[in-house]
Amino acid sequence: MNHSDWRAAWQPMINAVGTEFDAEPARFVADRIEASALRRYLEPLEFDCPLHYDSDVARELGYTEVVVPCSALVTFAYPPMWRPGEQLFTDSERNAQPSGLAISGFITGLEPETVGFFATNFEADYLHPALVGDRLARVGALLVACEPKETSVGRGAFLTWQSNIVNDRHQLIARFKNTFYRYVPHDLVVS
Amino acid sequence: MTSLVWNAVEQGEILNPMSYPLTVYRLVMAAGANRDFNAIHHNSEYAQATGAPDIYANTLLLQGMWEKFVRHHVGASARILHLRNFKMRSFNCPGDVVVVKGRVLRKWRKLEEGFLEFEVWSENKHGVSVGPGSVVVSVPIN
Repeated sequence: MNHSDWRAAWQPMINAVGTEFDAEPARFVADRIEASALRRYLEPLEFDCPLHYDSDVARELGYTEVVVPCSALVTFAYPPMWRPGEQLFTDSERNAQPSGLAISGFITGLEPETVGFFATNFEADYLHPALVGDRLARVGALLVACEPKETSVGRGAFLTWQSNIVNDRHQLIARFKNTFYRYVPHDLVVS
Repeated sequence: MTSLVWNAVEQGEILNPMSYPLTVYRLVMAAGANRDFNAIHHNSEYAQATGAPDIYANTLLLQGMWEKFVRHHVGASARILHLRNFKMRSFNCPGDVVVVKGRVLRKWRKLEEGFLEFEVWSENKHGVSVGPGSVVVSVPIN
């Protein structure tokens, strides 16, 4: 694929900027937020704030339950990795990936095939606290921007999406803008 | 943890940096705890095949570092309202020490509610790896 071809392959996504790709009703995740899962979230950060693990402190501060850190909202809005009846692991190759990876980002079918992706930018408005006991859903997938670019790791595009996190009491918890870089690594690029 | 009051804060004030040594162990713990099982964060061979030098800290871990940093300074009674320009510029890999730094960029009030905007960024041995971005919080006035 020559220089102009790989950029042109992203044109359908550029044309789709402004499109809402997920207008479905909220699909709440499998589990209510549990204090134990939240406590484990704090461990690798050594995040010692009692608001996130002590319900007495949370109540003294006016909350009805322990408060979820803002940075953990995405974690508790992830769909389950596995559901009854599904098979995730079908290949014993060392680096084989499970099928239906929950963190594959939003795929529209308009983007060219890519191999890797990672997040590059994040913005958020935190509108209402999420509490232990809440069940969350991530709703909406508005394509905000598509910028093809060659970087040090490969050729691809920066894609920016807007979505919301809601709870099962229909409260808007947060609004996010995420940018991901989807790309083909240099050693796999066919010139 | 003490709670900060708006009246006690000076615009331009520098916050004490917070260090996070990164190891494979810590990144694997983080992947399990924050459920980001993208293999670029726990499998070196896989990460290197995607062009990265090694496995690297995921977004949620890096965001958590900023939240802990800000929360440490403002206390449990503050509310975090906005995160802006959380831009991940380079990989944060095992062997790096990520140091989160920041300062009070702006302070203002609306009636009896005080607001602070912190400029925050992360550094590793290669320079600024995340940000600079900002975190806006509301805190008690007195």
